[in-house]
Amino acid sequence: MRRQVPYYAGLALIAFLALFPFVYSANDYDYIMHIFIIAFFYAILASSWSMLAGYAGQFSFGHMGFMGIGAYTTALFCHYFYLSPQATNVCTEFQFGDTWLVIVNPIGVTSTTLTQDCLSQALAVWGGAYEVTPMPVWLGIVLGTIMGGVFGLLIGLLVLRLRAAYLALFTLGFAEILRATISAEINITRGQAGIELPKLFQDGITVFGRTFSSTDKIPPYFAMLALLLLCLAILTWLAKSKFGLFVRALREDQDAAAALGVNTTRYKVLVFVITTMMAASAGAVQAHYIGIITPNNLFLLQMSLVVAMAVIGGVENFVAAAIGAIIIEFVLEMLRNSFDIGGITVDMTIWRLVIFGIILMLTLRFTRNGLITPVIEYFTRGHVGGETVAHRAQPADESEAAK
Amino acid sequence: MIKLVVKDLHKKFGGLHVLKGVNFEINGPELIGLIGPNGAGKTTLTNILDGAIKPNSGTVYLNDTRIDQLEPYQVALAGLGRTFQVTRSFRRMTVLENLYVPALAMGRPDSKPAIHDKAMSVLEFLTMDHLRNEFAQALSGGQQKLLELGRLLMLDPDIVILDEPFAGVHPRLMDIIHEYIRRVNDEGKAIIIISHQMDSIFSLSQRLLVLNYGDLIADGEPEVVKHDPAVIEAYLGSDEDEEEPEPATETQS
Repeated sequence: MRRQVPYYAGLALIAFLALFPFVYSANDYDYIMHIFIIAFFYAILASSWSMLAGYAGQFSFGHMGFMGIGAYTTALFCHYFYLSPQATNVCTEFQFGDTWLVIVNPIGVTSTTLTQDCLSQALAVWGGAYEVTPMPVWLGIVLGTIMGGVFGLLIGLLVLRLRAAYLALFTLGFAEILRATISAEINITRGQAGIELPKLFQDGITVFGRTFSSTDKIPPYFAMLALLLLCLAILTWLAKSKFGLFVRALREDQDAAAALGVNTTRYKVLVFVITTMMAASAGAVQAHYIGIITPNNLFLLQMSLVVAMAVIGGVENFVAAAIGAIIIEFVLEMLRNSFDIGGITVDMTIWRLVIFGIILMLTLRFTRNGLITPVIEYFTRGHVGGETVAHRAQPADESEAAK
Repeated sequence: MIKLVVKDLHKKFGGLHVLKGVNFEINGPELIGLIGPNGAGKTTLTNILDGAIKPNSGTVYLNDTRIDQLEPYQVALAGLGRTFQVTRSFRRMTVLENLYVPALAMGRPDSKPAIHDKAMSVLEFLTMDHLRNEFAQALSGGQQKLLELGRLLMLDPDIVILDEPFAGVHPRLMDIIHEYIRRVNDEGKAIIIISHQMDSIFSLSQRLLVLNYGDLIADGEPEVVKHDPAVIEAYLGSDEDEEEPEPATETQS
């Protein structure tokens, strides 16, 4: 029974998260819902990074880079690709039956060129006679996820022979190069100005007879929660399969695993592809929720936050990492409130990061498995020591008798 | 029948010629001791046999399959398993999980309950079944050596290389390892034991290979090799056998 406690607690937590938007009704409803959505986003990143670093031992610091690839793929796709019933004759375009796939020319961000893209020119000529259709958001998210996997495959192949600090530095370099490239390619990516994206549910959505507008928090809340649960379900399935066993063996001793028949190359690349696809999908959904993506989202500080969330939750347990991410996101938000002590105002906009850092340091010093993992292991592995002691006498007696 | 053919194996690390044309064959379930002083090339030979490093020249065939250019996992699947000089258990995995890894890596169609049952029988044989759910890091050094041997039983290779299986092991566990070696050999596996424990090597081996600075200087029955002047000179030392009347240097070929 004790071993089942974490599973029941998990089900209760899912039920709570599913019911929360319908039972919570305070004035800060939108704010709390927003924090939850962001927390789910970080939970996906932290749990997938936990599989990569905690389970497989691949300490990649490029996770936010892959998140950015997902976000920028869908952003560029939605920004530059349209379907038109009529040829524009000024854009690059391909005909499919009665429909034209129009690729808008990049015009950068300068004010003089804002109306100079080919599609704007064509629409001006048409004078409302024709309308173009933007690409579906879901397709952008799918493409972003796939692109994340493609880059994950490439990076996974490149780092096959790298271990520990070298792997960390390589992936860190990749993420920084990616961010710098996005910042520099202003003509296409709009640089620091960022690219605006259509909302996750741009035209609203009707579910069970209830209509939600594009600014309602409930649809993106459940979209991100569903993505989190899907990722956790996939990670659970992988962890319980031979994949999970092999990547943990890879973490423990790559050479020994290979000597026992494990194709370490395959599993190292696979774990990169799977986890980077998760990061990319989270990035794509998040970008559509926020409505804009900028290179700042790929900053190293963001990666540090994901690592800290996973470490505080428990890096070797992706559920603990996800829970840790949700808790840390809320703690960081709650710590924004400044307060007075004896007439002295404590500015928490500064001190909250200090407090967060202290929590991280104390966790690393005293509970290397994080704060959540020991609780889970108390229930799932608490019986092991007793069992070992109970069984220990038996074989010893038998061996003595045999002598 | 098990057949390993090692032909003219050379390996250099920079200017250091570690293996200088090693040749030997294993035919059937032989129990072989591989000895030599430190730096003789024993571990390099083992690493080449298991695919961890590639030779500069020469070939290795296992049951007519060339394995010297294969990756370690392919060599393992081809039927050659090994342990390491320094124990390399999967420390943050349970004892049972350590045993599941090779069984699942083999890709046999065994069901999970069948693999579990086999793992339990291996643990019972190694007198470690009570530790099945403990993390490997909780085991003693000797128990971790037993666990490594257990993983090989799960891998079930044709040829087993045991690198220093007796080092730092309690006498009671030593008995279990001796029993393990005999059992595996009785099951029709060929075994190569690398060790500096001469008592164990001579009591277990049917054949001895002696490496000295990259040269295979002796290959034969232990009693014959024991009296080989080149071996005495290179490794055993002339004072060890009082029946050897002649100084080793005089008998050097």
